[in-house]
Amino acid sequence: MSTKKIMAKTTFYIIIVTVLIAVLLPFFFFVSSSLYSSYEVYQFPRSFLPKMSFDIMVTWEDDMYQLHVYDDEDDFYELMIYTSNIDDFRIFLKRELSIQLTNEEIESDFSASKTGGPVYETYKKDLLYNFKTFFSITNNADKAILNSVIAAGWTILISLTLGSMAGYAVARYGFAGKNKLNLSLLLVRMFPAVAIAIPMLVYLIKMGLNNTMFGLAIVYSVGNIALTAWITSSIFQGINVELEEASVVFGASRFQTFLKITLPLAFPGMVACSMYAFLGAWNDSITALILSSNNPTLSLLIYKALGMSGTIQLSAAGAVILIIPALVFTFIIKNYINQLWGDVKL
Amino acid sequence: MKRRIKKWTPYFLLAPALIYYGFFWIRPVIRAFYESFTNLEGKMSLINYIEVLNEPVFKEAFTNSMLFAVVSVILQFVLAFMLALLLNKKFKGVKLLLFIALIPMAVPPTAVAILWRTGFSTYGWVNNLLMHINLIEQPILWMTADGTSALMFLILIDTWTVLPSVMIILLAGLQNMHKEYEEAGYVFGASKWQVTKDIVIPILKPTIVTAVILRLIAAMQIWMISVMMFGFGRVPFLVERIAYYTDIVPMLENSYKMSLTYSVVVTVIVLTSVTIYLKFSNRQRRI
Repeated sequence: MSTKKIMAKTTFYIIIVTVLIAVLLPFFFFVSSSLYSSYEVYQFPRSFLPKMSFDIMVTWEDDMYQLHVYDDEDDFYELMIYTSNIDDFRIFLKRELSIQLTNEEIESDFSASKTGGPVYETYKKDLLYNFKTFFSITNNADKAILNSVIAAGWTILISLTLGSMAGYAVARYGFAGKNKLNLSLLLVRMFPAVAIAIPMLVYLIKMGLNNTMFGLAIVYSVGNIALTAWITSSIFQGINVELEEASVVFGASRFQTFLKITLPLAFPGMVACSMYAFLGAWNDSITALILSSNNPTLSLLIYKALGMSGTIQLSAAGAVILIIPALVFTFIIKNYINQLWGDVKL
Repeated sequence: MKRRIKKWTPYFLLAPALIYYGFFWIRPVIRAFYESFTNLEGKMSLINYIEVLNEPVFKEAFTNSMLFAVVSVILQFVLAFMLALLLNKKFKGVKLLLFIALIPMAVPPTAVAILWRTGFSTYGWVNNLLMHINLIEQPILWMTADGTSALMFLILIDTWTVLPSVMIILLAGLQNMHKEYEEAGYVFGASKWQVTKDIVIPILKPTIVTAVILRLIAAMQIWMISVMMFGFGRVPFLVERIAYYTDIVPMLENSYKMSLTYSVVVTVIVLTSVTIYLKFSNRQRRI
């Protein structure tokens, strides 16, 4: 192998590794942040992986239980709390260590220390504690998730239908005002969504669509129709006209040709468009804030609930919940792109 | 008869989108423009624009938005193009790599902000990592950054999340390209760099213009990451002002007018910069 080839290969792998690190490293640390208990967050520097369980030691002194937590960094049992009130222990274990125990369990475990010296226990941490807390402090989170899905669904439906029709017209036909139309599609994208949302509120109230997901989708679709038209028109342009003409020569109608020839070839692009529509709707929070503040989407709910919150682990948990569906959707889309990988060539 | 139907086909295809835009875009836009030129009593007036221009943070918000747009778009385009060229190759694991590279795109801005805030807060995972590998002794106070360094911070975060969306447009363009042109270039002895520069980029031109314009438009509208990382007013942007007037002080007498006027200002700026970019890219094509 020549030096040049080795250099090229090395650069190639360096780029790949950089991409992997740049994406996966923040993601890994972020997800693990959502699994920490409060106690772990304030241990610094802490281990990269969240603890699965805690080793504790209970002693009995001055008619009180003393709770020590094992600190593996410095290898000793740190005194955390001493009280005779079992309820305080339960709350401490839950809030600080994410350990869910009942008073009876604590009482029966701890009581041996009264006579037999220190009691050592290993308690399993509730890994999903932050997620449960998130759902309990935002009591309408499941409704908000459903709302986000519905809004995204409507947005995809509206923008893909209207947008690809317009995109096909722009790509294949000459008509008066075509250049102006291209520019005005662009113009739509240039108008900040907030700027449409503010005056749209009045119209949506008139139609009774404020605080509904369909109303939100109407505004989300404004930018996405233009985007879809724009992307699909460049894709349709990239598809050889000869193929369509051949199909017409063999007796197919223009519509049949579109359905059987053009659409399958444009499919990866359409999938990409629906991904943009989905993500646009799923990710927005400012439009939802203006038009649907009483019936929030998940993104808005998280912005409101955790926007300025200082608790790292709870914010991280909320954000993970927001990310998962978007990630699942991208994963599905990826399969569609891959099915046509290498088969798009004409 | 058939010819007449054919002549009308494009209009049939366009009609739904156009009607939609008449109702849900032009109507609110006109209303916004009109209302930005009226005072609180509903009389024609420039008062809103005077108030916006006189706002102490306006100048900073304007400069930040422009700087952010220019620097981030250039950075993101160069990186995305390199990545798209790489992912357009066929090699083992390319599908997995594509999926991994797409992950940041699927992360909503709210979550992106939280992701990096949990990272860059004093006891966040960035400091934790740096201390573990013994690069630093004490946690660094990242979030106290302001001015240009805070702006650069936001550009990097933005690049992390939008790079895939630029990349996927370019990749789609590359995949739809006829391989023969490239192959012809190699047959005639051109180097990889020459083929990229003289064959791939010119053919890809419409896709590139699309990708850059979409980024330019979106970059001008940044606000969420800035607000969630630094709070309102620390690193002001034009759209951040809109959010400020609709979310934080919606009850002021002129909040509605201020946000409307800001939105008109942003629209005009975006319009101008895209027009300049289009002029520039068209001139290049002629040479």
